[in-house]
Amino acid sequence: MDLHTEFLLEQYDELRPTLEHMSALVEELLGRTLRQNDIEVTSVKSRVKTRDSLAGKLALKGGKYGSIDDITDLLGARIITFYTDDVDRIAAMAEKLFDIDWENSVDKRRLHQLDSFGYNSLHYICRIPKSLYSDPDYPQLNTIPFELQLRTTLQHAWAAINHDTGYKSGVEIPREYLRQMSRLASLLELADDEFSRIRTELTAYRRRVQQLVSSGRLDDVQLDGDTFGNYLQTEPFDALNKRIAALNQAEIQEVPLDAYLRVFKAFDCRTLGDVHRLFLKYEEDAYSLARYQLGNTDIDIISSAVGVQNICIVYILRQGGGKIGLTRLFNAINGDNPQNEQLADITYMQASNLPFMKQGMLR
Amino acid sequence: MNITIENEGNIIVARLVGRLDTAAAAEITPDIQALAEKAAGHIIIDCSELAYISSSGLRLFLSLRKDSAAKGGKLQVRGINDDIRQVFMMTGFISLFEII
Repeated sequence: MDLHTEFLLEQYDELRPTLEHMSALVEELLGRTLRQNDIEVTSVKSRVKTRDSLAGKLALKGGKYGSIDDITDLLGARIITFYTDDVDRIAAMAEKLFDIDWENSVDKRRLHQLDSFGYNSLHYICRIPKSLYSDPDYPQLNTIPFELQLRTTLQHAWAAINHDTGYKSGVEIPREYLRQMSRLASLLELADDEFSRIRTELTAYRRRVQQLVSSGRLDDVQLDGDTFGNYLQTEPFDALNKRIAALNQAEIQEVPLDAYLRVFKAFDCRTLGDVHRLFLKYEEDAYSLARYQLGNTDIDIISSAVGVQNICIVYILRQGGGKIGLTRLFNAINGDNPQNEQLADITYMQASNLPFMKQGMLR
Repeated sequence: MNITIENEGNIIVARLVGRLDTAAAAEITPDIQALAEKAAGHIIIDCSELAYISSSGLRLFLSLRKDSAAKGGKLQVRGINDDIRQVFMMTGFISLFEII
C-alpha cells in the first residue's frame, strides 16, 4: 500500500464517527420526509463505506483523489421505490432538503441511447445544509458529501443481479450475456412504466367515481370494492338506521359494511344504481322487520349494519329465497357457521308474520 | 350473574353464568376492564351458561371487542343460545363477532 493510500485511510479513520452519525441522520431525515409526504417505499437505507471497500477502491483509483474530501460515496443512502414516478417526486424533495452537487450528480436513466438498456438509477451527491442540521460535536457533517441513490424495486433487482452475475465473478462477461441482461433491463423498464401508468389511471378512475357518486349518477358506476366504498361514504343507509334506532332511542354503533358488497353482487347488482334501487324498493319492509324484532325489546344499541342487513333479508324473502337463501346470506356476512341455519329459521319465522310476506312474493 | 376468568393454555376464557342484565353488567364491568388489559391475546367469552343479554351486556362485549381489535388480539364468543344469537342478529352485530 502506498503512502498516499495510507494517508487517505487515516483520514477515513478520523472521519468514521462523523460518518456513522451522518448515516443515522440521513436515514432519519429521508424517512421523515417520505412519511410527511405520504410516499410509501420499499426501503430507505444508508451505509458507511467499510475500510476494506475504500482500500479496494483506492487500490484501483487512488491517484484520482487528492484528499478524503474528494471521495463522494464514503456515505451512501439508497431509497428503493415502488413506482418510477416516485423516483422523480423524491428527487424533488431531496433537492429541497439537501445541497446538491450538480456537477457530480448523474441521472443514469438518461445516459442510455434510444436503443440500449441497462443500469437505471438516479445518483445525487448531497451535503447537509447547516440550516437543516448542525452539531458542534461533528463540525464536518455539513461539508462531507454523501451519495443518494434513487431507484425502483425492479431497477434495484436488475442492478443487484447484474452486480452479482457480472462484477463479482471478476471475469469479463461474453457479449451474448451482456445482451441478455440488457434485454431484461428493457423488460423491467417497460414493467416499471406500466406500473406507473396503471397507478395513474386507477387514481383518475377513483376520482371519476367519486364525482359520479357525489352527483348521484349511480347508474354510471360499476359496482366494485372501490365504488361500493365511495357509495358507503354517502351514508345511504343512515336514514333507515336512524328510523330503526328511534324505536328504542338506540345508539348507533358504526361497523364495517364491506361484506355486503359480495351480497349485492350475488343479488346481480351490477351498478351502484342497482344497489340504490334495491334499497329504495325494500326500505319500508326492512323497517317493518326491524320494528317487529326490536319494538318489543328495550335494546337501545344497534349497529350501522342493521338497515342494510334487513334490506338483504327482505330481498331474499321477497325473491322466494326462503330459509336456504337466508342461510346463504348469513354465511356470506357472518362466515360459514352451522348455526346460521338456526338463525335463518328464526328470522324466517319472524318475517312470516309481516305483511310483505303475506302479500306473496314480488319480483 | 357470575363471571370466572381462567386460562386454557394460551387462551383466556371468561365464563358468564346467569343473566347479563343492566345490574349484572355494572357488576362485572371491573372484571371486563381487567380482561381488556390482556386484549392483545386470545380471549374467549364463554356464554354456554348465559341465559340473557341486555343492551348493557352488549356494550361490554363491544368494548372488549374494540380493545381486542386495537391491540391486535383475538376475541371469540362461544356457546350463545338462540335468544342471544337473535339479539346479535337483530341489532346487526352478528357479523362483528367471531361466534364459535
